[in-house]
Amino acid sequence: MPNKESEDGLIEKRWLSALAKGDSAALGGLFELYGERVFRYTLRMLGNRSDAEDATAETFLRVLRRSGELRADGAFRTWLFRIARNLCIDRMRQHKLIELPTDAQYGGTEERTTLRITVHQALSELPMEYREPLMLCDLEDMPAREAAEVLGITVPALKSRLYRGRRALRDKLGGSMIR
Amino acid sequence: MNESTLYRKLVDLYAGSELPAELEEEMEAAGFRDKELSHDMTTLRQTVEMLRTSPRPAMTEESMQRILMKLYSRGVDIQPKAPEPMHLQYHLPIAG
Repeated sequence: MPNKESEDGLIEKRWLSALAKGDSAALGGLFELYGERVFRYTLRMLGNRSDAEDATAETFLRVLRRSGELRADGAFRTWLFRIARNLCIDRMRQHKLIELPTDAQYGGTEERTTLRITVHQALSELPMEYREPLMLCDLEDMPAREAAEVLGITVPALKSRLYRGRRALRDKLGGSMIR
Repeated sequence: MNESTLYRKLVDLYAGSELPAELEEEMEAAGFRDKELSHDMTTLRQTVEMLRTSPRPAMTEESMQRILMKLYSRGVDIQPKAPEPMHLQYHLPIAG
C-alpha cells in the first residue's frame, strides 16, 4: 500500500502537470495539498494571522504566475517554501516583525498550552539563523536535505545551525523543561 | 579520543534520534557513569521532543476563506479540492 508521502507525491505530480497545461483548477488542488502547511509556516515566521494569510495567498499567486516553469520532479515543495520564506523575510524587513504567533489557535490541555507558549517564547528569542532550521526540521518535520534547500545552505551547515539552535533553546528553557 | 569525549560529540545526534539503536544504548549506559553527559543527553532530547510534539497552529476556516478571497480579488479562480478518486476518473461499463 503506498504511504502518505508517495501518495502526496503522485497527487502533486498530477496537479502540476494539469497546471502546466493551463488548467487553473489545478491551483485549488495544490492549495488543498499544501495550503495549510504554507499557512502554518508563514504564521510561525510572521507571528500574526493576517500577515500569514497575505503571505500564503501571495505564495500561491506566484505559483500560478510561474506555472509555465514548474516541473513535477519533486522539487516543487522546496520551491514553494522558498517562495513563502522570501515573502516572509520581505514582510519582516518592512514591519520588523520578529515575534512568533500570538494569535494562533491551538488545541490541547491548559498544561500543553502553557508549555507551548513557553517553548514559542523561547524560540522567538533565538536568532533567525537558529530559529528557521528548528521551525522547518523539528516543528514542520521537513527532511534536512529539503530544509537546507529552502534556506539555500548546505546540509552540514543546516545541521550545525539545527544543533546549535536546539542547545540555545534548551538553555533558554532551563528549568521549565525538566518534568 | 577517550570514550567520554566521543560520546559528548554524539549528544546532538542522540538528541535527534539519529543514532543506530546499538550506539544509543551504549550512550545511555555511559550516561549512568557520567552525570554531566547524562544531563546533556536528557535535556537536549527533551528539547527536541518538546518541539516535535508541539501542537501545530491550525488554519481555521475563516483564515482559509480570507486567503481564497485575497486570491479571488487578484483574479484567481481557485477552488480547493481533493483530486478526483481514481475510480471516478474512468468510465467503466455498467455491468448487469
